[in-house]
Amino acid sequence: MQLSREALLRAYRQMKVIREFEERLHVDIQTGEIAGFTHLYCGQEAVAVGVCEHLSVEDKIVSTHRGHGHCLAKGCDVNGMMKEIWGSREGLCKGKGGSMHIADVDKGMLGANGIVGAGAPIAVGAGIAAKIDGKGHVAITFSGDGACNQGTTFEAMNMAVVTKAATIFVFENNHYSEHTGFEYAVGTNKDIASRAEAFGMKVWRGDGTDFFSVYETMREVLDYVRVPGNGPAAVEFDTERFFGHFEGDPQRYRGPGELDRIREMRDCLKNFRKSVIDAGLLEHADIDALDAEVLEAIEESVRQAKAADRPTAEDVLTDVYISY
Amino acid sequence: MANIKPFCMPKWGIEMTEGTIAEWMVKEGEAFAKGQLLCLIETDKITNEVEAEYDAVLKRLLTPASEEAHPVGALLAVFADADTPDAEIDAFIAAFKPAETSVAAKGGGAAPAPAPASAPAAAPATPAREPKKIVTNRAISPEALKLAEAEGVDIEPITGSGRNGRITYQDVVQALRPERAASFKGTAQLVADTPEAFASPLARRIAAQHGIALSGITGTGPRGRISKADVLALVKPTTAAPAVAFGAPFELVANEPSVQPFDKVRKVVARRLTEAKQTIPHFYLRVSASVDALMDLRKTANLVLGTKASINDYIVKAVALALVRHPDVNVQVHGDAVHSFPHADVAIAVASPKGLVTPIVRQADRMHIAQIAATTRALIDKAQAGKLGFEDMDGGTFSVSNLGMFGIEQFDAIINPPQGAILAVGGANRVAVETASGDIAFETRIQLTMSVDHRAIDGAAGAQFLQTLKGLLEAPEGLFA
Amino acid sequence: MAKMMYRDAVVSTIAEEMARDENVVCLGEDIVGGMGTPGGPEAIGGIWSTSTGLFGKFGADRVIDTPISESAIMGAAAGLALSGKRPIAELMFADFIGVSLDQIWNQLAKFRYMFGGKTKCPAVIRMAYGAGYNAAAQHSQAVHQILTGMPGLKVVMPTTPDDVKGLLRTAIRDDDPVIFLEHKALYGVKGEVSDDPDYMIPFGHARLSRAGQDVTIVSTGLLLGFCEAVADKLAAEGIGCDVIDLRTTSPLDEETILDSVEVTGRLIVVDEAPPRCSLGADICALVAEKAFASLKAPPLSVNPPHTPVPFARELETAYLPSVDKIEAAVRKVLSYR
Repeated sequence: MQLSREALLRAYRQMKVIREFEERLHVDIQTGEIAGFTHLYCGQEAVAVGVCEHLSVEDKIVSTHRGHGHCLAKGCDVNGMMKEIWGSREGLCKGKGGSMHIADVDKGMLGANGIVGAGAPIAVGAGIAAKIDGKGHVAITFSGDGACNQGTTFEAMNMAVVTKAATIFVFENNHYSEHTGFEYAVGTNKDIASRAEAFGMKVWRGDGTDFFSVYETMREVLDYVRVPGNGPAAVEFDTERFFGHFEGDPQRYRGPGELDRIREMRDCLKNFRKSVIDAGLLEHADIDALDAEVLEAIEESVRQAKAADRPTAEDVLTDVYISY
Repeated sequence: MANIKPFCMPKWGIEMTEGTIAEWMVKEGEAFAKGQLLCLIETDKITNEVEAEYDAVLKRLLTPASEEAHPVGALLAVFADADTPDAEIDAFIAAFKPAETSVAAKGGGAAPAPAPASAPAAAPATPAREPKKIVTNRAISPEALKLAEAEGVDIEPITGSGRNGRITYQDVVQALRPERAASFKGTAQLVADTPEAFASPLARRIAAQHGIALSGITGTGPRGRISKADVLALVKPTTAAPAVAFGAPFELVANEPSVQPFDKVRKVVARRLTEAKQTIPHFYLRVSASVDALMDLRKTANLVLGTKASINDYIVKAVALALVRHPDVNVQVHGDAVHSFPHADVAIAVASPKGLVTPIVRQADRMHIAQIAATTRALIDKAQAGKLGFEDMDGGTFSVSNLGMFGIEQFDAIINPPQGAILAVGGANRVAVETASGDIAFETRIQLTMSVDHRAIDGAAGAQFLQTLKGLLEAPEGLFA
Repeated sequence: MAKMMYRDAVVSTIAEEMARDENVVCLGEDIVGGMGTPGGPEAIGGIWSTSTGLFGKFGADRVIDTPISESAIMGAAAGLALSGKRPIAELMFADFIGVSLDQIWNQLAKFRYMFGGKTKCPAVIRMAYGAGYNAAAQHSQAVHQILTGMPGLKVVMPTTPDDVKGLLRTAIRDDDPVIFLEHKALYGVKGEVSDDPDYMIPFGHARLSRAGQDVTIVSTGLLLGFCEAVADKLAAEGIGCDVIDLRTTSPLDEETILDSVEVTGRLIVVDEAPPRCSLGADICALVAEKAFASLKAPPLSVNPPHTPVPFARELETAYLPSVDKIEAAVRKVLSYR
């Protein structure tokens, strides 16, 4: 682990932004001010940030319905995202996408996606494009333990191997596909990576609640995939989902004390703080200062989202070919 | 009406259609307070406690606790103020209709009225003609059969167009109509796409028919394409309507006004004319005058005098002479005073590029005809050039307006204040007249209409003036006296 | 003007556009053919010979032979389009939209709108459709009625080799996803083709293939030829038919249809898809809504029956709208009292 002080602070800040963004959404959704379906990423921050801290804007990611963390980690604007989720015409997608379809193609973020398992084939296309361009860029698809059961994901893995696409399949195993347990729904024994391996890919595994585990694992994965001709790879991170499948999910499927336990033992932010303090890399004061700054930034994004322009009926008809 | 409120089976969630009352916590006749527990209601998913939303008395309990399910919206109890009479509660219950809150409630209502019985029984009670009962094995809709029977249509030759060959109402209507003689318009010119222009097929066809080049046209159709309308806009109106337009519906074209604000002259003219027509009590005197002699004399006189005086110049001269002979017509009206003048300042109405103007031939009674002609010519030129000044138009005692050159027979002019009258001169017409010897002869006449300000000039005075004028025109030698 | 087959118009246009713009790539099952076999690449071309020679000219990076994975093909096209490429993906049989529909209608079609207009999605999805090969229910369907109803897609249905040339080039250069439906029974049809390297036919611009003033016949694809045969037969009787080849169903050239009906007062739509919610029903409704006063007879749509496409020769022939059925429909409309 040889990260500079600046890199450590940036990584922590990125995770904290995601955490507070989500915690704040959780509050504002309860009041009914935010419309639609929202799926929170809280608990998995170390994966998004540990992956994206290695990427440039030329590298592409394709996300999921639980996409806020990936978007923020890939560089999407916090205020633009908050406005989008609040349905403003000033949002990243002018209020036309919402939580499940946030995208910023210029930042290499090819979209969150409302369809479970739809992202993997798209990342194969982006990986083929990267291979054609031959500049060592990659395309990454994030999939959960739910999407790993979709035929589209299987097709995508095979096609990526066949076409030697520069695609990385990142599986975030948070143990729940919607409301169904991983141990029930994934037929291979407690493992997704071995599936990818069976398609002929090199695979890695890491702890998705530990930023440093994710970061170091991804360094190896990327070193491999960025070599032209090596083709795709897969990596599975074991992680935790702090909230329900969607906001409003009563989570009756959780075990007694489970949520408290994972918040206590498997919180990537707490783990990060402990690691860097123990190693003498950062002081509590450094991190406390970041915490305060991030809280204010999120507060500001909500202020902006509430004040932002609302879309009008005319906006329905733009950004699509409508002349039939 | 006392404060009576129904308590109905509530709807919790999209799928709830019915519920059962598990237990009442309040008895009939008991009062309850807002927030108090009223009853327990069970659905197939949950058991819920129902709390009172306001203070009231449970006046009537219609649905005791039981295992029987009641549909959403069913009346369970009636709440009201303590002093509400029972009769009112009864009336309320009798009149109560459950709201249709669920699909099931809508679908489960009274059965729809039965469709009218088919065939014979459905025949109208008072048919236009005696219905002829049709007995058939063919599939035919009830309405079609009714129509066929009423109109005596033989249904056997009809090919049914309905499902599985059933005869429809439309089929019977078709059978009722006479077969039409075939009359077709045939093929048309096929005009292929060309790279020079992006045009709809019909636009191309019309352009080819009228020899219109498409290349310069800016299309206003979908995706910038040249439409029928774009080409039709270029078809010359004199061209006969193209064959393809036959039977086409009439289409309105753009008819936007081009807005031209009044300029200064027009503003003044408009204001003065409006004022004049609204405030001056006009009356009109009409007379016709024979001008054969005047026209003959004009040729000779113009030659002799070396002038190009027009008929109108002679009329101005005649008017001026008549005015000085009738000073009671040679007037201006100012408030409550009439100003009469010794000499006649005759205004002539001239159409200029800036609109109607009325320059004045001053003291026309003192001018000989050549001077009048020169003066009017100068004034008209000035008017055409837009160079008439205030001094050219101020005052005047009388106006002459001549529209004879446009073939106008007669018209009524508006007085040009402060002048007392205006003469409207129509065109010359050949008319048949009875001569002194009783024969029929033709002569050339003009119609003169004088608009008169009745405040200053009476009918008799105006009439006498016109008599003089008519005399001067019919015996024009007097103009040179 | 060169004379070439419909299929050659497809492959030559792709080749010209790939040579013009290095971002154009194509992908699909067996578009190279023979990959991983003793025969080697191009041992056998795609089954329609609509990609012959591309691999040799442009190489494996730009001519991507894929496994049988329709979802992944459509998804890869989506990812390529979002990454600055201009993919031309081949679905082989239009019937296979069933296994790849999510990527077409939830992904490709919606990106630009969902992302607030901040991306383009220049993908062409080519697929062979239609009956005529006795290929039975899962390899013979006309699927345009499903795809035309999806916002965000443009749907092209060329009839002639020249249409293929002009419309495919427009499709490849378009920044929105375009569904390009090639009728498999037309692949062998020959016709004059423009040799202008920039020849493009705008979308939503119908072609009038016969001009007449008594009845309007709207169609496209294989059945257009049947309509022309009917028009030619009736012309000899003094009955004139406007035969409109739509060329694209989205956008639909409403203007040309309405212009024609205003002249003729009678409408027949001949559509290869089943009748319910069909292109025929849509156009009849359009004319009823917008040219009601011009109509002299009820508009009529000629479709196959509401059945799957059958296999046996006799059955498939009976299924498709035929010249006789179209003629009967025209005469029915003409005889309306």
